[in-house]
Amino acid sequence: MSNAPARPAGVPPAAVDVEALVKHYGRVEALRGIDIRVEQGEMFALLGPNGAGKTTLFSILATLRAPTSGSARVLGRDVVAERDALRREMGIVFQEPAIEQRLSGRDNLFLMGLLYGLTRAGARRRASEVLERLGITDLADRRAQQLSGGQRRKLELARALVTDPRILFLDEATLGLDVDARRTFWGQVRDLADAGRTVFFTTHYMEEADVADRIALIDFGVIVALGTPGELKARLGGGIVSLTTDDNARARAWLSEHGFAPEPGGQEIVLLHADPAAVLPELLRNLPVRVERAEVHAPSLADVFLKLTGRGLEGGSKP
Amino acid sequence: MIRGIVAVVILDLKRFWVDRVRLVAGLAQPLLYLFVLGAGLGASSRMGGGDYRRFIFPGTMALSLLFSATFAAITIVFDRQIGFFKAVLVAPIPRPAIALGKIIAGAVQSFAQGMVLLPFAPLAGASLNPLQAAEMIGAMALASLTFSSIGMAIACRFNSTTVFPVASNAVLMPMFFLSGGLYPLKAAPHWMQVAAHFDPVAYAVDLMREAVLGESFFPVPLSLGALVLTIVILVSASVSVFNRGEDDSSLGASRFRWRR
Repeated sequence: MSNAPARPAGVPPAAVDVEALVKHYGRVEALRGIDIRVEQGEMFALLGPNGAGKTTLFSILATLRAPTSGSARVLGRDVVAERDALRREMGIVFQEPAIEQRLSGRDNLFLMGLLYGLTRAGARRRASEVLERLGITDLADRRAQQLSGGQRRKLELARALVTDPRILFLDEATLGLDVDARRTFWGQVRDLADAGRTVFFTTHYMEEADVADRIALIDFGVIVALGTPGELKARLGGGIVSLTTDDNARARAWLSEHGFAPEPGGQEIVLLHADPAAVLPELLRNLPVRVERAEVHAPSLADVFLKLTGRGLEGGSKP
Repeated sequence: MIRGIVAVVILDLKRFWVDRVRLVAGLAQPLLYLFVLGAGLGASSRMGGGDYRRFIFPGTMALSLLFSATFAAITIVFDRQIGFFKAVLVAPIPRPAIALGKIIAGAVQSFAQGMVLLPFAPLAGASLNPLQAAEMIGAMALASLTFSSIGMAIACRFNSTTVFPVASNAVLMPMFFLSGGLYPLKAAPHWMQVAAHFDPVAYAVDLMREAVLGESFFPVPLSLGALVLTIVILVSASVSVFNRGEDDSSLGASRFRWRR
């Protein structure tokens, strides 16, 4: 396109290119200046608590909402001005169920294929291919309402894949699933990404974001950190000591007096340290309270989020 | 565009077919009007029971078409509460094609309901010769499209399934009662005759009555013109609502939004 940003010839456009993106709903500032660039073939996670702006950003990229200001391009195309051409290239899995529960999975995929302009024969063939690819052929002829939650989400994934999209968007795609079903689901998405498809997904589960190539942490409508899972965790340096004592307030006070910096808030005391294994015995010996539980572990994304925002991921992004 | 419309029509009809038992259940209301209300009111009218049933057959047909068309339109309100509608919105289909496809699918469902009711005409004392039947079916098709346009014009402004039926009843019942479906318009008070001129249902009933009884209140060309005009106006209204829904996955419904 003539109005695409200047890139050297032969270089494919970024899968997602968001610049200074702002979105207001009335007086609520849902997005306050977002910059993100996702390369083609990447698996990219947008991680943040509920209300952080994930779904708003997702909806803009999915061509369902228009930005207040700033620009958003997907595969080099503007999400507002070129949305018609763009829709053909995208597969989208929503938070809410988007399959007709009273029809079979196969019928759902067939109808979705027709909506994307496939012929009847073409739509039928694609439906079978995708069902086989995801290993759910045996479920395909049952009504969707008879399937389990995990099977239905797989069907949602199949629905998004029926048109062979170049980029896949998922918004909290595993909401309400148990841990096993989530792991299976993300395993399949990871396979799709490994096969060269770009995947952009939102989640508030840190262990889901861990499967991504890169992660953007979002809070109050701004990106607070962006990098590979390893880079983000390395930001904390060293590791984490978590303590539960019979008097956390007194323990915190003692730690502060003795040159440690416990993270504020939380049920347990979280301490970042360059060499947690070395410092733990000293703490256990000297703390003036009874330690009920002590643990040393490598930093998780939740620790990173806590460090950057002062709040946990599960809490919700509220002032 | 055409392909998009066809895809939306197939989508909606396939979903309707799952619920085809609705066609049978949908018979209850018009038959109740025809044989219970009709028997009761007919006995006390100057026409007598048999003639009265024949007289209100077109009216009950209109009632049946009107309600099944509106019910078809409700699906758009239901779809909006789950993600199904979003999946349609992000498909590469022009927004007007979605609106048109939904209206056509609604008209087909309404017409199918009418065709299930039509065989009861002889029981209501309205035996139709082939020419009358053809006229009746033509009038039913036009009425279905009109009523489906009415249903969609209302439905595309709502995103709550609890408010929509109340709102549509507030529009549909007056339109039906003013239509002359249950009484002769020419015997009605002057103000009702005037009001009927602004009621698309009245023209639809009148066309069907012309087919069944060979008598009409409005000239036939006027009825045809009024229905076509109604369709054109309401279809463009729905299309414009769909078009302006770019920034709102609830598709323009926010203007009448019911805060949950």
